[in-house]
Formats: sequence, structure tokens, C-alpha cells
Amino acid sequence: MAIQGIDFANLSLKDALDLAILVEDEAQERYEEFATQMDQHQTPHAAQFFRYMVKNEAKHGQELQARRVQRFGDAPRSVTRAMIFDIEAPDYDAARAFMSPRKAMEAALASEVKAHAFFVSALPALKDSEVRALFEELRDEEVEHQEMVQLELAKLPPDSGLSDEDFVDEPAAQ
Amino acid sequence: MSATCDYQAKDYKSDLKPIWCPGCGDFSVVQGIYRALAAIGRPPHEIAFVSGIGCSSRIPGYTTAYGFNSVHGRSLPIAQGIKLANPDLLVLAAGGDGDGFSIGGGHIAHLIRRNMDITYIVMDNQIYGLTKGQLSPTSQKGRVTCTSRYGSMEEPVNPLLYVLAYGAGFVAQASPTDLVGMAATIEEAIRYPGFAFVNVQSPCVTYGEEAQQIKGLKAISESLQSLGHNPADRLAAMDLAQQYGQKMHLGVFYRNPEPPPTYGDLVKERQTLLSKDALPKERILDLFIKK
Repeated sequence: MAIQGIDFANLSLKDALDLAILVEDEAQERYEEFATQMDQHQTPHAAQFFRYMVKNEAKHGQELQARRVQRFGDAPRSVTRAMIFDIEAPDYDAARAFMSPRKAMEAALASEVKAHAFFVSALPALKDSEVRALFEELRDEEVEHQEMVQLELAKLPPDSGLSDEDFVDEPAAQ
Repeated sequence: MSATCDYQAKDYKSDLKPIWCPGCGDFSVVQGIYRALAAIGRPPHEIAFVSGIGCSSRIPGYTTAYGFNSVHGRSLPIAQGIKLANPDLLVLAAGGDGDGFSIGGGHIAHLIRRNMDITYIVMDNQIYGLTKGQLSPTSQKGRVTCTSRYGSMEEPVNPLLYVLAYGAGFVAQASPTDLVGMAATIEEAIRYPGFAFVNVQSPCVTYGEEAQQIKGLKAISESLQSLGHNPADRLAAMDLAQQYGQKMHLGVFYRNPEPPPTYGDLVKERQTLLSKDALPKERILDLFIKK
């Protein structure tokens, strides 16, 4: 998780909303990438779960976008994707070929925890009351997202005990 | 050369889906390159991206730049030819540590001494991953692989010291542990007027050792800026570069504060100098025809 050039103390509500949309966009794109990776590596169940996360992140992004348009219309955006990295998106190294649905859900859960930590850590620096209220709302939503993933985890049958490492080719004599 | 426009990272992303192993460090590297190119702002059709052979050498195909996934170890001579033929192109070369420092190792010195205006990004994973895990030139001594069952008996090549010793004007290291820093480093390398080298420690999730995965790399990483390193000090850079394999220093090791002219500049200068006495094109053949 990294941020660059964000002045939280002077963050306006428009910028805060745009930032939140970018966070959701990044997560959505990363889950799309992961789903494609899983398709390519014959891991359909993990792919299916990552597509479920794509839909969720897209939905959150659209909700935020609607609020942004309602409040600020199409006023130009002054925050960019270059300012954020891996806020709610799972880390690239969280994906593995042949990962089980459980591992996929655990990766998503870790991302929701990470996003929650981001909003919590930003709160003390915020001065604008509306921005603070938005970040508190987003922080609480991350808890709801964690619960949502945990619900999915609870639906799974017990783990087989196999890890993705069991499917990796051992070095073979040449 | 066109004026720079507002490009976003996604403008450099092609429709081709990467087929690297999920979790591979190269996913972050390509993102870093997208971001760096967006910051530079040159349109994709003004960029040529050349690679050799290997997992990481697939990278040009994942960008919208002109790409050439060329011959093993030969990305640099091909990139050089492209740059000489069309000096206005922004030319990038990329590949793995095996491609760059084993089969292609002999080419680096010549691009450095010519100061070709090319940015060379090596995705250093210390293994031949595409061919299923053989020793590569940067594999640590003692490393057990399918070609070193009792452990490697060879000292690894130190890519940073290698290029610094040949006199590269820009030498940096980056890692997927810090994508923002990686993008900034690649951008700075591209902006350097001359040969620029970026070593990216990009872990292999399938054949790499645990210590070389993201968590392991994070544990040994340290920003050169936080150490107060002066990137104009080449000897200090060489001193720090010796810790390759033990520490992972991130950022710019060396940036020549007074870059010499590039080979392209010298060619242009020579052409200008000779052009006044040059025969018109239609008479050049006369030189070869006996009268």
C-alpha cells in the first residue's frame, strides 16, 4: 500500500470522492487481472470468486461516482491513479496458480483489511468535516466488506489441506 | 518528435493478457513501465520496446508501443539499430538476468561506451524461469537448482557493479515492493540523456527461493535516498552496489551530473560536418563505377 502526493489536511470533498473512486477502480482492475490469470492457469473456482469481487468493487465505484456527479457534476478531477498503489487492490504476489477458493478469499479479505487500515490511518490528518465523515463511512464499509468475504468463506467446505505449492513443478533433471 | 500529451497508464496497456505465473514480480514491473511512460507522455507509436527471450522478455507485447520480442541476449544490438535508424524514437530494452548478463552480457559494455540513448530494464529473478529453473548468472553461490544439484559453485554476476564499472551514466535499482518508486525510477532513467540501466529485483514465484519473494525482499530493502546517498558520487555508488545480494538498495545509484554526448548526437554532428562535401544521392553510385 502506498500513496504519493496526497495532502490529507487540505483534501477537498471532491478530491476525497475521486480518490475513493480511484481506489475502487484499482481494486476492480486488479481482481479482473487476477480472474484472467486464474483462467489462464486452469483455476476456475478462484477465477469465479475474483469475478464476484470485480462486480462488488464496480458497484461501490458506481455508487461513489453517482454521489460525485450529484455533488460536483463533471468538474475536472485533480487526483490521479499515480497517487495511489494497492490501497484496496490485492497485492500482485497474492495470486498463485491453482490457488483454492479459500486462498482467493483470504487474499480478498487481506485487501479489505488493508483498505480499512488506509482509511483509519488517514483520519487523524483530515481537517474538513465532510471529508472526515466520508472517510469514516468508507472505513466502516470496509468492515462490511470484510464480513461479506467472511460469509463467503464460511460457505466453503473444509480445506483439502493441499496448497498451491503441491501443484508446482519440482526442478527436474535435465 | 511530437509534443507531449496527456497520456494515462492504461493508454500503454495492450489487449494481450500476460501469461506470467500468477504472483510473478513482472506484473508490477509492467505496471511501473505503464506509469513511467504516462509520466513521460510520448505517444505509444513513438516508442520502440525491444526484448530478448525469457519470461520477462514477453513484456513489449503487453504494451501498446512498437514491440520486438527478439533473439536471446540480443535485445541491445537490435535496440541500438532501431535508435540509430530512427533517433526520434524513445527506445526501451528489457529482459531477464540470463538474457542480459549471460548470453547478452557482451553487448552491454558497447552500448555504455557509446552512450546510446536507450533505457535498459533487467528483471532480475536470479533464475532461468521459462526453461524451468536452471542457474542464471545472478543466482547466488550455493543455490540448488536442477542444474546445480549440489549447489552452485559460481559467484553471481553483480549487475549493478558490472554496468557501473563500464561507466554507465545512469544506474538504478527498483523492486515490485515499491511500485511508486519503481515507476519514478524508470521515468528518471528514460529522461536521462544516454544509456540508462534499471535492475529490477523481480521475484520468480515458481522457481525462486523464499528469501527472494516479496516478503524477503521487503526485509532487505532500503531506499538510497533515506541513506543520504549522493547519486552524483560514482565511487559511493560502486561501494553500495557491492552489497548486491545482501541488501536491496532502491533508487538511483548513479546519475552522471554531466552526461557526455550520446552516440546519436555524435553521429548527427559528424553528418553535419561531412554533408557539405557529400555527393548528391544520385551520384553516390559513381564512386563504385569505373569510368
